[in-house]
Amino acid sequence: MKYLATALLLSASLANAADLNFSDARARAVPPTADISAAFMTVTNNADSAVAMVSAESSIAETVELHTNSMVDGKMKMRRIAQIDIDANAKVELKPGGLHVMFIGLKKPLVMGETVDLKINLSDGTSQELQLPIVHIEPMMKKMNH
Amino acid sequence: MRKIAPYALLGIALFVGAWLSFEFFGPKTPLPRYANASIGGDFKLNSVDGEQSLSDFRGEVVLVYFGFMSCPDVCPTSMAVMKQAINQLNEAERAKVRGIFISVDPQRDTVDELNAYTQYFSDRIFGMTGSKEQIDAVVKQYGAYYKFVQLDDSALGYTVDHSARIYLIDPEGQLADILAHDINPAELHAKIAAYF
Repeated sequence: MKYLATALLLSASLANAADLNFSDARARAVPPTADISAAFMTVTNNADSAVAMVSAESSIAETVELHTNSMVDGKMKMRRIAQIDIDANAKVELKPGGLHVMFIGLKKPLVMGETVDLKINLSDGTSQELQLPIVHIEPMMKKMNH
Repeated sequence: MRKIAPYALLGIALFVGAWLSFEFFGPKTPLPRYANASIGGDFKLNSVDGEQSLSDFRGEVVLVYFGFMSCPDVCPTSMAVMKQAINQLNEAERAKVRGIFISVDPQRDTVDELNAYTQYFSDRIFGMTGSKEQIDAVVKQYGAYYKFVQLDDSALGYTVDHSARIYLIDPEGQLADILAHDINPAELHAKIAAYF
């Protein structure tokens, strides 16, 4: 009975905290001369209320921002966005060609095989701290069908 | 009868517009070689080896891409696509293929940094840039597009909107194909290998 009460209490207090699952989080390895890079991930919101990623920080970059790419009339446009909304019981993909976390002003190179810290601040006041593997993010060589 | 004419004109204009959009910005099917069109042609820009012309690379298949280094996503993807396609070639073929990343952002991208950037992806991809006039000339020649956009809300200061295409130039220096920047590397490899 004690455990049930504790569990109920715990779940009640967590009900207001974000119930987000971050998967497939990764940062792009870049040449040593690069000053900027990007991170991608899938964010799943398991709560019944929407939440947003509103800002981010990392020890590896002077500034971290949220950006999106869009192809408009054949032109690739990248813009900073104030936040990334994740609807209740839905997921959002940050992936190449679309939404991404951008590292601006790299203090040291993002080297393949290492990891980088990323703290994501959410609209409900909570934060999520992640450790991202640094990888080569490349398109898959798909088999050709002739 | 008089009332129909403007609508007919609008209909025709829309149809032509749609057709043109499809031709240039539609699915990633390759475009035919521009044999007699004025698109493409020789150009001269700066590289780590000094001033070079496209015609210096006659006999090679050349892949040209317009971008800039402060592009965290689309440009690295394009470089990775080119790298993967090139890596599928055998030793002899590789020596006759080169990628050229032309930076439209000479203010931020020096030739040395650019080359270090491209060489990180492949030893067959080289960086080039030049003065705004030189760059604008090549961009126009190839029907590409770029535009500096101020970002007051970003630490970047500015970004560059740009067409994201890989221009395939044949060993005779003629523009043979215009491909999406994220073309399947296997498909790109096949197009390059067709020249050997």
